[in-house]
Amino acid sequence: MEKKTSLIYCVLTLILSLSLTLVGFPVLAADNSVTVNELIENSADYNGKSVSITGEAIGECLERGNNAWVNISDGSNAIGIWMTKEESAMITYYGDYKYTGDTLVITGIFYEGCKEHGGEPDIHCSTLIISHTGEMKSEKIPAVKMILAAGFASLALILYITYRQIFNKKPERNNAD
Amino acid sequence: MKNSEISVRSAEIISYYAGLVILGTSMLMIIPVVTAILSREWVPLLDFIISAGIAASLGLLFVLLGRRTKGHSASVQWKHGFAVAALSWVMLMFLCSIPYMLSGHTRSYLDACFDVMSGFTTTGLVLTQDLDHLSNALNMWRHMLTFIGGQGMVVLALTFIVKESSGGYKFYVGEGKDIALVPNVKGTARIIWKISIVYLLFGTLVLWIAGLFIGLNPASALLHAIYIFESAWSTGGFAPNTQNIMYYHSFLYEAIAMVFFIIGSFNFGLHYAIWQGKRKEFIRNIEIQSFAVTAFLTSVLAVAALSKTGLYSDAVSLYRRVVFNVLSAHTTTGFGSLYARQFALQWGDAGILIMVIAMLIGGSACSTAGGFKGLRVGIVFKGIIADVKKLLSSERSMRVYKFHYMKDIVLEDGLVRASALIIICYMVLFGIGTLLGTFCGYSLADSAFEASSVTGNVGLSIGITSASMPAVMKIYYIFAMYLGRLEFLSVFALIGMAITGVKKIWKRKQV
Repeated sequence: MEKKTSLIYCVLTLILSLSLTLVGFPVLAADNSVTVNELIENSADYNGKSVSITGEAIGECLERGNNAWVNISDGSNAIGIWMTKEESAMITYYGDYKYTGDTLVITGIFYEGCKEHGGEPDIHCSTLIISHTGEMKSEKIPAVKMILAAGFASLALILYITYRQIFNKKPERNNAD
Repeated sequence: MKNSEISVRSAEIISYYAGLVILGTSMLMIIPVVTAILSREWVPLLDFIISAGIAASLGLLFVLLGRRTKGHSASVQWKHGFAVAALSWVMLMFLCSIPYMLSGHTRSYLDACFDVMSGFTTTGLVLTQDLDHLSNALNMWRHMLTFIGGQGMVVLALTFIVKESSGGYKFYVGEGKDIALVPNVKGTARIIWKISIVYLLFGTLVLWIAGLFIGLNPASALLHAIYIFESAWSTGGFAPNTQNIMYYHSFLYEAIAMVFFIIGSFNFGLHYAIWQGKRKEFIRNIEIQSFAVTAFLTSVLAVAALSKTGLYSDAVSLYRRVVFNVLSAHTTTGFGSLYARQFALQWGDAGILIMVIAMLIGGSACSTAGGFKGLRVGIVFKGIIADVKKLLSSERSMRVYKFHYMKDIVLEDGLVRASALIIICYMVLFGIGTLLGTFCGYSLADSAFEASSVTGNVGLSIGITSASMPAVMKIYYIFAMYLGRLEFLSVFALIGMAITGVKKIWKRKQV
């Protein structure tokens, strides 16, 4: 009987913990989840605190010894994330004209004037989650642009031929007055 | 009859030379076209073919309209030189904006025009959206524009297109440059380009090696090196990424960029003198003396003001975040090693005021830099000293005051007055910009910071310049950048000629 009661208690505790985790996690996550512009606007408040930021990896990984800089853009602005080389190796795509970069969820300590990095505002990464893998963008060539390109190139050519004909025919006598 | 004939000739002269400048710029679009092909960016390739086609057609049309001018460059007067420079810049702004607009990275054509004028005038303020996803072709174009704008588009056209050279000096002065390195203006223009190209090759190599060292891959290190050198040398301040110079997270990269933007802010005459072995010119030149004093004072004052905040506690931080930005402002470069809003939120009134002063003073005359120039500051300062000395000395004493600017020059009242007049014009432009900012709801400090940045062709922002700012401010900022770069005279000449032309037509109609 006692064994049965303890088991029920255990199950109830487990359900309660799980429920709290599931309900509470988004709230906790929302608490320290910020945008880059919010960090800059309230840098004194966030300085030295753990923040969570979601953004696209952009440019390329800049390796420095055992560490690396990864720049991420969240649409409002971009910021440098200081992480280990192993963490940076998890990132597959960096955003540029041809690629959409991986979407990263970074949790780390924000410094408004990082002493380690010459007073730069940055985030030292604690955890890195890749929430969405990037991809190569497909470049669709619009037909309108092709027609316009052909049209204006032809117009320029016609005017150039006219220019050559006019200037070759009477180079000096144009200004008779 | 004779008057109307003269005005017709004026219009033809302006049309012919403006057409040549436009034609020359359309040819430059070959570089982004090649970049697009090498990078396999097919849509930007079409964008540049369309833009080059439109620009070349318009340029040829202008040349054809003014065809009677060909071979008669001797009839070019000062007013034509000024008007051609001023008109070419406006026309080119509209034409060079087309690739921006077609790329879809600007919210409006006005924003595209803003960015082009910002590039031409080596300002560096940006309204282009999502810089991190820009094509290599468009990035090449952005940085090319600022590089060419620094040396001057008219100077470029003079060097490579216009065969006859008489009358050329008027175009050259019209573009805000007035130093004759050699007697022939084409020779002077060629020297300016030779100096810039040699530095471009050297600077790109240095930054490419530095780029490899900080972790960029070889191909992108080369592109970044070209972009950052072009921006630094022309004191432009554009960068290929949103974070500007902060993207690299490197003291080395910032230090190299700083060296090039300081050198870029020096007078081309000084570069030429040093190339010819006249090293003493570097110490004796009034502009270098003026720059050394004002750069030192503004840097020390900014460091003192920012030290109080406790934000930057060590020397490296103060150097990278304070001195770098002050020198970037003083040389009118506009590379930022801070976020725009950090100036407003962390620098305080003292820091902002120091930056405003540095941005307004600017770099050297006949350089790529903006502002009212160290030369004029030096002349006015020496003029004041001379006046005080005259007051204190005996009435019978006749002393001649001189200053050194490539050679010893007598400090005449007319020269002091002319320098003071240009400084007043800049201050009026700055005042109106500040007033407009406050009218649009921004704080006085923010408005003054941004107004000094556009007036001095700097490019640092405190956060006002954005795609969402009022259109009236965008238009005023375009006008202020344009006036500031051409140093007023050319634009005044163009406006004056337009008014005279309208008056003549009006009178003819009444008769």
